[in-house]
Amino acid sequence: MDEHYDTAVIGAGPAGGNAALQAARRGLRVVLLDEQPAPGGQVWRAKSASIIAAPTTPESSAGDALRSALGASEVTLRASTRVWDIRRQAGAWTLQILRDNTSLEITARTLILATGAREYVQPVPGWTTPGVIGLAGATALFKHSLSLPGNRTVVSGTGPLVFYVASEIRRLGGTVAAIVTPNSRADWARAVPAMLGQPKLLARGAVWLADLMLARVPILWGHAVSDVLGTDHVTGVKTRNLRNSLTGTEFAADSLCLGHGLVPNIEAAQMLGVPIRHVASLGGWVPEAEPDGATNVEGLYLSGDGCGIRGAVAAGLQGTLTGARVARDLGKSAPTPSLRQWQRAARFGQAMTALSHPRPEVQALTTQDTIICRCESLRRGDITAEITTGAASANAVKSGLRAGMGPCGGKYCQTAIAGLIAAQMGKAIADVPPPTPRSPLRPLPLGQAVGDFDYDDLPIPKPAPL
Amino acid sequence: MIRLVANQAAQIRRSEQVTFTFDGMPVEGHSGESLVSALLRAGHLNLRHAPNDNAPRGAFCCMGLCQECAVVIHGQVVEACCTGVAAGLVVGRV
Amino acid sequence: MTADTAYDIAIIGGGIMGCATALRVAAGGMSVIVLDQGDLGQGASGVNAGTLSLQIKRVKLMPYALKGHHLWAEMGDAVGFAKTGGYTLAFNAREAEMLHERQTLKTQAGAPIEFVSNNRLRAAEPNLTHKVEAASFCPEDGYANAALTGQYYRGRLRDAGIQYREGCKVTAIDRTNGFALTTPQGTIRAKRILLAAGAWLKPLAALLDVDLPVNARVNTVSVTERMPPLISSVIGHATGLLTMKQKVNGTVLIGGGWQGLGTPQDGRGTVNAQTVRPNLALAQYAVPALGAARVTRSWTGFEANVPDFYPLAGALPGVPDAFVLGCVRGGYTIGPYIGQLMGDAILGREPEMPLFDPGRDFEKDMI
Repeated sequence: MDEHYDTAVIGAGPAGGNAALQAARRGLRVVLLDEQPAPGGQVWRAKSASIIAAPTTPESSAGDALRSALGASEVTLRASTRVWDIRRQAGAWTLQILRDNTSLEITARTLILATGAREYVQPVPGWTTPGVIGLAGATALFKHSLSLPGNRTVVSGTGPLVFYVASEIRRLGGTVAAIVTPNSRADWARAVPAMLGQPKLLARGAVWLADLMLARVPILWGHAVSDVLGTDHVTGVKTRNLRNSLTGTEFAADSLCLGHGLVPNIEAAQMLGVPIRHVASLGGWVPEAEPDGATNVEGLYLSGDGCGIRGAVAAGLQGTLTGARVARDLGKSAPTPSLRQWQRAARFGQAMTALSHPRPEVQALTTQDTIICRCESLRRGDITAEITTGAASANAVKSGLRAGMGPCGGKYCQTAIAGLIAAQMGKAIADVPPPTPRSPLRPLPLGQAVGDFDYDDLPIPKPAPL
Repeated sequence: MIRLVANQAAQIRRSEQVTFTFDGMPVEGHSGESLVSALLRAGHLNLRHAPNDNAPRGAFCCMGLCQECAVVIHGQVVEACCTGVAAGLVVGRV
Repeated sequence: MTADTAYDIAIIGGGIMGCATALRVAAGGMSVIVLDQGDLGQGASGVNAGTLSLQIKRVKLMPYALKGHHLWAEMGDAVGFAKTGGYTLAFNAREAEMLHERQTLKTQAGAPIEFVSNNRLRAAEPNLTHKVEAASFCPEDGYANAALTGQYYRGRLRDAGIQYREGCKVTAIDRTNGFALTTPQGTIRAKRILLAAGAWLKPLAALLDVDLPVNARVNTVSVTERMPPLISSVIGHATGLLTMKQKVNGTVLIGGGWQGLGTPQDGRGTVNAQTVRPNLALAQYAVPALGAARVTRSWTGFEANVPDFYPLAGALPGVPDAFVLGCVRGGYTIGPYIGQLMGDAILGREPEMPLFDPGRDFEKDMI
């Protein structure tokens, strides 16, 4: 059964959700697609069916507001849906989607990509040990299943997420063994001016920090986890002071939440021909788009963290801008909202991104034996040897070693590999573009993509000349 | 001790506990929670072995991208972090 | 060598053919530089399915393909070479007839192809569908890992002391005094040039006001994640529209020349779900257990051709000291060998087998 819409929105987080709402409000027929069973994205992820009742949080409330607004709107929601291919043909977008183990086609005149972000985790020795999960990954557990990563958890990484994760662990009844953050207090002091623009968020952060201090949770500023201990599962972590390289306290723990900022999910935009550029303050490589989401590709719009990490508040505002822009471009009357609010929210988000940046001192904690590409178990020494023997680009390293050819498609190794190439060849990170992205956007069950077919109906073309 | 962030664990009401199996072993979980959540609580951190070095691996990104939590259900590889617990579900290793 | 010194030859295009020619002419004493607009071996040489099958080669190119197979075997592990033997399958009477007709001609051309019984086929490949109407086998068939092409030739060029430049697109060619090539990395001078730019030959030759009738096919390849052992040999289809092999690491590579979208001038091709789907369906039909596999990547590569689908290999018409090599159907297999022949011709030696005049009338079957 094929479906046709004025606009299709991929990603039902703050940006995609608000873009869909705005576009529908302006009279467009909108379909909103998301992998998750309910809208909310990573930041406003909905609770699973396992939760019958639970206290609200700012995230759950914001998510509930979005979900109820979408529920009351004309937006067609296609949840638990994966998009595996996107093409523009005959002036419209054709999306191949997987739903209920079946492949379907959706067409739409315009397309809004609100693909959000994923997490960057800087490799350190032992980071592949079971029990190490991403900081953002931990928040998915908290929001979806209200469950904990373990009984005693070290929380480590950059930016505000360490404090949020530690605080949530305490709220849900867990124990935080320690917080280990490469950021210094001075880093945070520098971010305060930008944070003043979002006083609610600033106040929340202050409560997290005060609570952790009252609870005497060790907070190691300017430190990083240098080794994860344990073979079959995490038993503890070693730490290091990044200023003087001295060994810090060792902590026993059964779990580690580790993360170093967010990275925009740009692959879909890249595959559709949107140029990308490296903007460190936006989280790395970002596709080029107007503030309201318009791109150089006809009928294609981008919104939210997928075009630069500016945070959930900014993403929601940008979603509304994008929805209005699409409506105007399709001949509907829609106001041109002011950019000022979005810009202010973006300043806050970018200050957090700046705190979260991968740092050279943390990158230096890897050893020759540290795994860089998890899918193929490739170690730093494998990657640097390949670079030494002439592989001068991310594509070349990928081709030669399969770094990025595993099931994750390079999502969790390419930032680190680009860093290694840049360091070894004396290039700027902006001169080491990511490898060519490949379809499908997610691993695609072959039988489900193919569906039922009769052999005689396969459109087999004329064979090659003899 | 004064807590500014209250422990709310007791205020959470969860669905009934059901049993599913992982690699032949019975595991308790709340119906509808993510498999990763139930498996972590039950101490099943090691979900698969990596190619090439055969090292143990477990859930990592928890958002359906990294594929570290890949398991097999009904003959199909799926991400445990994106799959819900259900009574009687048979979850195998890749 | 200073900027003003002219190389004996500049080779534009660092794929298999350009690099193989470079190695040959350097061995013959010429000073060589290889230029590629991207990375070495990242075009068709690096993204094709890596099939080395005599069963899908053109009859008149069979002697070249046989030589090519030997060269791949010599390159061995460095290029992921595996001689597995290959089965070509027909699933209905019409295809069986086509298979008989084609394989008979190819056998006459020197390919050791035989027809095999269903029992023998099932004993060798128990995971194949039982709906096979006819099957042929060639023990010479196998595959190599196309993704390793770039790194392999980087090593070979370096070992031979041959310079190469990546990210070095030639944007203009001046012929006042030898050849002066304008690139983002400065002007490069050479006494001779070889155009070996694959699907980009047409715009490249246009820099010399030569119109080469080169078109590009947009071939699609897909690969699954690691699977338990399913097939041990290269599996093909009577029409040539399926090639499939399972690598040592367990991934299954599925090709067959289904057409994606885009042109070399756009700079990139894209897969087309409308053609990927039947390609995957054909694979699943041949090996039903593939239904549970997850496809991790699909991609396209540009395969250049001219109207008669035979190679361009020889002097560039109307431009003294300029040569062209490309458009070899089955170019991955034949590339290393035809590169040697081209190198010999540039060195002024008689090639072991005839080249293919780029100035021929493409409307007539003159090969």
